[in-house]
Amino acid sequence: MNKKGVERKFAVVLVAAIICFSLSVNSVQAQDVATGTATATVLTALAVSAAQSLIFGNIYQGVAATIGNNIDASSGIFNILGQGSAGISISFALPQFIALADGSDRMTIGFSSTDATVDSNNTTPATVVAGDGWINVNPNLLPAATVIGAAGQTNVYLGGRIYPAVDQSAGGYSGDIILTVAYNGT
Amino acid sequence: MRRIRRLFIGVTLSFLLAAGSTAQTITVNNDLVFGDMFPGVPKTISKYTAGAAAEFNVRGTNGAEVSIQFTLPTKMTKIGVSIQMIFFNTDCAVDTRPNPIQASPLFDNLNPWSTLLYRIGVQGLTIYLGGTVVPRIVQPPGAYTADITLTVAYTGA
Repeated sequence: MNKKGVERKFAVVLVAAIICFSLSVNSVQAQDVATGTATATVLTALAVSAAQSLIFGNIYQGVAATIGNNIDASSGIFNILGQGSAGISISFALPQFIALADGSDRMTIGFSSTDATVDSNNTTPATVVAGDGWINVNPNLLPAATVIGAAGQTNVYLGGRIYPAVDQSAGGYSGDIILTVAYNGT
Repeated sequence: MRRIRRLFIGVTLSFLLAAGSTAQTITVNNDLVFGDMFPGVPKTISKYTAGAAAEFNVRGTNGAEVSIQFTLPTKMTKIGVSIQMIFFNTDCAVDTRPNPIQASPLFDNLNPWSTLLYRIGVQGLTIYLGGTVVPRIVQPPGAYTADITLTVAYTGA
């Protein structure tokens, strides 16, 4: 092979090497992929139950009856279970009357501005004290700072008053008392 | 032989030039951390929140343009259940300064669903990402996770 032939062969090899090198460099630089993670921990879901109805028992026509919020056997009792110490928003939807099952007669029911107690220390209506939560508060405007008790439970106690008419029909009356609870994110 | 010598010099120069380009690398400086969440209460992590927003650092050749492409999840999961995730079109930010400032990034309110094009700075390029999760009221408690994949490539520009 003459000198020119050697040069040409060598040149071809070098060009091929350059191309290979360029390709390999490009493939190294082509891209990089990284995977981060999104994480979250969902806390305990709320559970609300009506542990005890607000029980007025037997009443007489024309004689109003009151049940306090501090009577273990007859105050309305609601249990709220959830994440300990979490802030919650709670509100009552209170009835204006209770009615016979067939709807043929109604009886007025009222709630005063001190008829509710919020107990974050899981005691009872009769034993709850100021340090346990919010005593004798307005059931139509429950405290904004309400929290689930550290043990994961808060109770709400409710009293009320009914006003039977003098010609009130005899029979069993009832009405729904709805407590709505939601985490407020605090 | 003179030609061969010239060719050698050319190859050497090419090699040096090529070696001067650095392959880009991505480091995950911080995951997107939502922390504790209450069922029924949506939670947003701002891209400005250090330690909670996702933060990626891209290293490579100073001045080179790169394309940035997220593969974003639409839900976080744990076994059998999921939480909806939302990434809004302003949830991303990029900072190419040597000392990036997360609270006021150089390029702000970017759409993480789009391919982004930026030039790598002297100290690389930092990407911030926020997001939102929407747990249901009856969301089962526990730890949820999702992958956020970031792909970065030189564009050649």
